[in-house]
Amino acid sequence: MSQNQSSSLDLNRRRFLQLSAGAGTAALLTSTGLQAQTVNTRAHVVIIGAGAGGMAVANRLSDRLRGGKITVVEAREIHHYQPGWTLVASGVWEPEKTTRPNSQFMPPNVDWIRSSAAAFDPDNRTVDLANGDRLSYDYLVVATGIQLNYEQIEGMSADLVGQHGIGSVYASLEGATRTRDVIDQWIDTGGGQGIFTHAPTPVKCAGAPLKMTFTTLSRLEASGKRDSFDVDFFAPGGGLFSQPWVNDFVKQRFDEQGVQRHHFHTLTAISPQDQQATFTQQDGSTITRDYDFIHVVPPMSAPDAVRNSNLIAQEGSFTGNWLDVDIYTMQHNRYPEVFGIGDVIGAPLNKTAASVKAQAPIVTENLLAAMQDKPLPRKHNGYTSCPLITSIGKAMLVEFGYDLEFLPSFPFIDPKDESWVTWTFKDKMLQPAYYAVLEGQA
Amino acid sequence: MTIASVLTILQYALAPYLWLIVVAVVVLLGAQLIARLGGYRYLRHKSVVANGLALVAGLTGLAWIPAFTHSQLAYVATAFDWVVMIAAIIGLAIFALLVFHPLSYLLRARH
Repeated sequence: MSQNQSSSLDLNRRRFLQLSAGAGTAALLTSTGLQAQTVNTRAHVVIIGAGAGGMAVANRLSDRLRGGKITVVEAREIHHYQPGWTLVASGVWEPEKTTRPNSQFMPPNVDWIRSSAAAFDPDNRTVDLANGDRLSYDYLVVATGIQLNYEQIEGMSADLVGQHGIGSVYASLEGATRTRDVIDQWIDTGGGQGIFTHAPTPVKCAGAPLKMTFTTLSRLEASGKRDSFDVDFFAPGGGLFSQPWVNDFVKQRFDEQGVQRHHFHTLTAISPQDQQATFTQQDGSTITRDYDFIHVVPPMSAPDAVRNSNLIAQEGSFTGNWLDVDIYTMQHNRYPEVFGIGDVIGAPLNKTAASVKAQAPIVTENLLAAMQDKPLPRKHNGYTSCPLITSIGKAMLVEFGYDLEFLPSFPFIDPKDESWVTWTFKDKMLQPAYYAVLEGQA
Repeated sequence: MTIASVLTILQYALAPYLWLIVVAVVVLLGAQLIARLGGYRYLRHKSVVANGLALVAGLTGLAWIPAFTHSQLAYVATAFDWVVMIAAIIGLAIFALLVFHPLSYLLRARH
């Protein structure tokens, strides 16, 4: 069966499911006044990027707009379930489990342009695309995702992942797979020095560097030779995790598991051939360490097309690196017809798929309100979630918001407990929930 | 969360195991149907062996349910973990009973 036919069937199944469920709930929703209102418009909405955020908004908007035009700009044909990459790099999942065609999730009534944004001109409401086209818009949703800046580490590039003992779960699906392989090779040697790092910038899934450390420790213990391996963690700051209770927990657990912590050390150079990593300390001095395996977390930022435009933050801690949005309404701080979602936005937290789940309905409702010149009705509380894997087989469901207070979704799951059920959520349920988010269903 | 979202999530979650669900349903319905055609009624038939096998089948879940989730029994730790695990074991035991009980009737009838 061709991909087109398969996609068509998937789409029909999805629409059938939506219609079936919708028919069952329509009476209830109507009677309670909860039915989502459609908006008649002639506006052209352009969504840049169809990762989790862009796809979720595209699906939600396509159900709500009547008469308008939605254009989605996304070059990739394959959608990656990136939250699964830590499980791939830890040898738990096969890589194929994390991919699906983008066409499976793309709503049928949008114009999908297979390209990417090359430049933004918000003053003239246009976007230049990599294919040479220029798109005009009435409303813009920036959902470009994040840019990995490996080159900011001297001697490092994404191509090196999988070679010379270098791993990096962030690089790509192939990079996560090669990270798994290079960890396997390291464990097979029976001993040596492992180094895990964190980046000096906000990163997507900030728990991933910790998860990679914990799952690797789990594998080292399973090898029966844990004492033959030295494991060190280098962090650019004094903390390891945003949420204070979890931060203390991780520090204590690292200490208990024999992980040497080095705070205020930023990875600034790497010598692949010599297998040496150089860290810059707070006072500017450097130290160099040998390694047999290193997990590199690159500095991250908004993509260059955003950074080089007027859409970028021009004051505050996100200056020059992140999209300038109101972190509560998701509306651009200077261009009210522009909204942002996902990893690209300048926010203190929120670079997770769980954040997108919370942001997508807010962006949709606020964008629809903006189209009707109404006050923006919804505010984001900063909800983010990290199923923090503390060993292969158990995890903590850490959910919190801008105020760093826990925001547990399930009263029967304590965010401070390491739990098999939470791990099972991560292993079996979060990917289905993610796909429901893409479809605008959750 | 809407009914549509719950259905969507369940559909994605169960899709990889659809074949297993189908096999389980066929085995269950097959055993029940064949036995009932031969006069089997649950309350009229007693089988200590079937009950015992069902109990053993449920308890084997302690070994393979954690493994099925890439975990281990030692990590079933919180009260809610145990509630879920015990519920799974009971479900497994009931399924096994509903298969073994009519099968024991058929075996006894043959002899």
